[in-house]
Amino acid sequence: MNKEIKLNIYRFDPEKDKEGHFQEFSVPVKEGMVVLDAVHYVENNLDPSLAVRWNCKAARCGSCAAEINGMPKLMCKTRVDSIGDKISVTPMKAFPVVKDLVTDVSRNWEIAKKIPAFTPKPNLKEPWVIDEIDVSRSREFRNCIECFLCQDVCHVIREHDKNYIGPRFMVKAASLDMHPLDNIDRSKFLHEEGGAGYCNITKCCQSVCPEHIAITDNAIIPEKESIVDSYYDPLTMLFKKLRTKNGK
Amino acid sequence: MENKNSNVLGSIKKAIPELFEPNWRLWSFIAILIFAILALVVFPVKEYKGLIDPFYSPTILVLPVVGLFRLTCYAYRKDYYRNVFNHPQSCAADERGDSNSRGYSGETSLFAFNNLHRYLLYAGIILLPFFYYDFYVSVTYFGGFVLRFASVLILLNAILLTLWVFSCHAFRHVFAGGNVKCYDCSLNPKARKGFFNAQSMLNKRHEDWAFISLVVIILLDLYLRALAAGWPIDFRILQVL
Repeated sequence: MNKEIKLNIYRFDPEKDKEGHFQEFSVPVKEGMVVLDAVHYVENNLDPSLAVRWNCKAARCGSCAAEINGMPKLMCKTRVDSIGDKISVTPMKAFPVVKDLVTDVSRNWEIAKKIPAFTPKPNLKEPWVIDEIDVSRSREFRNCIECFLCQDVCHVIREHDKNYIGPRFMVKAASLDMHPLDNIDRSKFLHEEGGAGYCNITKCCQSVCPEHIAITDNAIIPEKESIVDSYYDPLTMLFKKLRTKNGK
Repeated sequence: MENKNSNVLGSIKKAIPELFEPNWRLWSFIAILIFAILALVVFPVKEYKGLIDPFYSPTILVLPVVGLFRLTCYAYRKDYYRNVFNHPQSCAADERGDSNSRGYSGETSLFAFNNLHRYLLYAGIILLPFFYYDFYVSVTYFGGFVLRFASVLILLNAILLTLWVFSCHAFRHVFAGGNVKCYDCSLNPKARKGFFNAQSMLNKRHEDWAFISLVVIILLDLYLRALAAGWPIDFRILQVL
């Protein structure tokens, strides 16, 4: 490996620039260095005006999400020696840029508010008890660190700007739908407001998830199948109606 | 001249990038499709000494159902959305082949037909026993029990098709308990969740089962064609007459 890498960082200052551009920096490489270290080197030694959001540097907070050589990744989890000596770092394209590598992800909080909240079954005895057997399935969804790399890589959000809530919030809906004490079905919301039909299950979200959550297989497809239950499968629809009539 | 040629090549590459991608899944699928149609039309081999061709099991009339089952399968959907329609071609920013200037409706209009996948799954489950029956016919054709290499292939084909069908996401939802909110509320929670977990293990490899099972169908078909054409490769492994 070379002792120096060329780091191409996307720069954009809304107060000065009309559009963004790349700026190249030479950064000395240290053993075990991650891309966030290299960006910090630039910030501390070459250009203190560089804006970058970060917190834990341990892949737990999700703040340093960016696109490294075109792939959405966490800067703190991407080793420099795994990429080569020419590295480009750009902000997440799916979100508006605040400055340089910092993006405004507040759109996600608005989406989160729309998802029908946890609604417990009526007349539950307190304290609420859940068996281990019912917890394990949605446990992987709790690993989400809300880095929004999945939202960034999703072509429906990134290239087509359809009214789709995105992979992160399909996971959120699935974790609520799989809760044993929850009493509502979110398929109506996902189908009519959440734009779940726009997802074409190409699994990019799953492939970029730093927590290795099987987003497509374990959250999106089960939700799409629930939509089939409610909108496309007359047999299941009939079965559901009969169960409701019998009070089950 | 060379420059002009490379420009033409460059423009074709830009227009139809998938022609130049090392995209073995797409190309092998297209090759298999063309081969299968040609073989079935030009040189039909329905059966050779008790060895039934998988395309005729139980009858060639079910081929459209099987084809639609594969077409609406989540594994193949991912493949053709990515590799045929470039929505997106790749997850990487510089190779996506997708843009906001291209129309996109996902599975909200024409491709909403993929939601019928579970009905084709029901048909697939009904068809599976025929492949095991073919194995039975192949080993009992001469009377007694004669295990030929082709019988092993027929059994392998049946097992792989079973793994593909039973690892299906729709199967997971409808039959394996994917639609269940509360496993603890069922009559036998451990068995219910255990079945779901076991099916989920299979489901993790659904894309692999989808492709391997397709390849083995073709290999079996080719082998039976070679036998019908008189190739001396009808090996007997075990014979109890």
